[in-house]
Amino acid sequence: MDFKELVAGRHEYAKAWKARKGGKVIGWFETYFPEELAYAAGLLPVRILAEHEPDIISDKWIYAACYPVKDMANQLLLGRMDYIDGFVNTEGCQWMFNVYEVATNNAPQLFKHYLFLPDYTESKSSKDVLRSELDVLKTRFEEWLGVTITDEALDNAIEVYNKNRTLLRTICELRRADKPVILGSEFMNLLLADQVMDKAEMNVILEQFLAELQAREGRDMVRLMLIGSETWDSKLEELIESLGGNVVIDELENGTNYFWNNIYPQEDRLMAISLRYLGRNNHPVKDSNWRRRPQRIFELAEDYFVDGAIIAKQIYCHPHGTDNYEVWKILRERNIQYHYFERDMTVPKEETQLHLEAFMNMLRAGITRLVGWHNKIEI
Amino acid sequence: MKKGQIWETRPLECWDLAKEIRRSYDGAIAGTDKVLGQGMTSWTLDWASAFPAIRVVEDNPVGAMMAAQDEPFARNCRLASEVRGWGREICGYHNTCWGAQFLGNTADGKPFPLRNFTVPFPCVCDSHIKRGQQARDFKPIARWTNDFTMYIGERDEKREEAMLDHRNYNTLKLLNEMEIVFGQKLDDEILFEMAKSYGSINDMRSEIAYYMTFKPTPLTVKDLYSFFQLRPSPKMGPDVLSNFWKSLRDEVKFRVENKIAAVGTERFRWLEAHPPPWHFLKYYRYMERYGAVCLGSQYSNLRELIFAEDGSYSVRSFTEPSYEAGMELSTREDLVRFMTTPDARSPRHWKIEEYIEPDKLNTMMRIYNCDGALLGIWRAGVGCTLLRKEQAMRLREDGYSVMVYEGAQPGDRVDLDEKRMLEQLDTWMESLGYQMLDDE
Repeated sequence: MDFKELVAGRHEYAKAWKARKGGKVIGWFETYFPEELAYAAGLLPVRILAEHEPDIISDKWIYAACYPVKDMANQLLLGRMDYIDGFVNTEGCQWMFNVYEVATNNAPQLFKHYLFLPDYTESKSSKDVLRSELDVLKTRFEEWLGVTITDEALDNAIEVYNKNRTLLRTICELRRADKPVILGSEFMNLLLADQVMDKAEMNVILEQFLAELQAREGRDMVRLMLIGSETWDSKLEELIESLGGNVVIDELENGTNYFWNNIYPQEDRLMAISLRYLGRNNHPVKDSNWRRRPQRIFELAEDYFVDGAIIAKQIYCHPHGTDNYEVWKILRERNIQYHYFERDMTVPKEETQLHLEAFMNMLRAGITRLVGWHNKIEI
Repeated sequence: MKKGQIWETRPLECWDLAKEIRRSYDGAIAGTDKVLGQGMTSWTLDWASAFPAIRVVEDNPVGAMMAAQDEPFARNCRLASEVRGWGREICGYHNTCWGAQFLGNTADGKPFPLRNFTVPFPCVCDSHIKRGQQARDFKPIARWTNDFTMYIGERDEKREEAMLDHRNYNTLKLLNEMEIVFGQKLDDEILFEMAKSYGSINDMRSEIAYYMTFKPTPLTVKDLYSFFQLRPSPKMGPDVLSNFWKSLRDEVKFRVENKIAAVGTERFRWLEAHPPPWHFLKYYRYMERYGAVCLGSQYSNLRELIFAEDGSYSVRSFTEPSYEAGMELSTREDLVRFMTTPDARSPRHWKIEEYIEPDKLNTMMRIYNCDGALLGIWRAGVGCTLLRKEQAMRLREDGYSVMVYEGAQPGDRVDLDEKRMLEQLDTWMESLGYQMLDDE
């Protein structure tokens, strides 16, 4: 299965889905959006993905945002996603709110909704706020679409999404192997496709793909972890692979955080959804109380036997800019070597490649990770 | 008479009183507040004042002050935080203040006052959401958190019920736990008294904002930035602030009735949107050389009023139903509800207004009889920059002249080219047909 092709054909897919199902498409920006609710309403939830297209229009609307936000605004204003019938912005990154505002201000006929998801996720009262907000969104979907979202529809959506997350997790577990059968770029494309496709259809593809993976030969490469801002493509993973490395695990908003934990069904369906989204592995904005990200990063690094980590932060990504300090600190303390760089609309390929190559050459010695990269040793 | 003078002008009589209050505030807290916290108390009641020896300081003014007073030191602070991993596009308030924490001293060489706890500054701004963590990353200290509850569209009181419960629960938890952690008793009676006087001071502030709609304006934004930092504090003694605001209100009213201007050459009025570059406030004086006066912004006092299209205004009440309207105030829970206010999207400060009332600045331009707007866009200030470009477009659509200037962030002087900004102002004024009064 060529997942990259699925991602490239996402606009055609959504249009075909609408023609086939007669349903509407709802766009979302961050993975805190409770897709289950939209799915239960008969909507196709799709993540808005950024490209690397020369930006000709967004500067008029947005200043100093990260490139993906500007690119998304560019695409939306150019009408590349005119099949989308509405947007939901979930409280999170402010720049994402900016693109949501630009998109909906320029197309007032679209359905729009701001879902408040507490930034203080651990408070005793957070779950009740989110449950209440889910109820509001459910009503708004019902009014917009003229449908009733039944418990049966919610149960079905929860089941489909739980199955999807379980399949993703199962595939991800294969990356732990000494010789992983899946490359980081392929896994990223798989995830991106998952975020723009009907989950029931994607589940069928994933089951077939899982069977396909069993027959594959694994490859021994430098094992890397990818940490940092959200991503929208697999270009960095591909560059790493061209140098003999493989991203075997990530701690990205749109990566493992997207599928790591399931919904535990309970009688109160909305509360079950609320608990899942508050209890998931958090983005820096939602990790504003206890710092849980650094410890999780360390645990993933250990579990997936990484040789080193790459921290790629989008420039103008304020939440990650304020988390770096603690992420760097724990990696240093736990003797995990890392390479940090900033992403932008474009980065100089040769320079980036050279830095990554030098970093991986350092890791290839193998033994360095046992004694620490600060120590000079002769190999 | 000054060249180009149109209106009578004279210094404000309240200045001396304001300076005296400021000195007495510094004296009242000097040496008494042993427990220092990072963050912000409520917008309505400074609850820290009701503890015997607790004080809460926000990093915004601290960082801005450092950058204004000592640029080389502020740059060292930034470097100290960036080298540890802080993003170079992070808000200057943050990076400078917490960079000084890493360096271990303040600009004058004194030891950096380490915080004993952090409390939230609930805000929609991503940067503010992460504010509490710097101090507690540095050393293990007590911390509390809260949320800024937000949605877009018309007010929906039913939707807000759970939001208000959430905010009230976390505020109550904060106050109760702080008593236990620091062994200090919160004096609820002090807060009851502050709640009673809150409404009247707020009304006077709003009235002053209203008087600024008249031509010539009796105050400028520079006056406001000085006066609005004077917050009621029981540590200064009862009624000190109420009396000051009453005096100021009366004086401003007198000036309006007698057309006594803040700037005698006033002939061009402009508004802003967000904080100015704090280290470079002299551009206000520079603009006065053109007879141009800044009346403020949604960030300064002007958010106190709600304007109707016909020019009438009403006072925005942060605390409706107010104490005067009969709100029950007998328990700490009542005080918490008073502080949170019944509006889950309060305080309706400038950032929130931009989300909920995107046309507000246009309305203000009409009500304040303004001729133009000067908008700062900040590379490293997400909350200070978000939606600004759309705001400029909306103003231009209404026929207002808008000048936009770029910088790093209001509390960070790294990127602001001061000379270029003044040249831009010259060009802006000249393009509108104004010359410097000295040149005319």
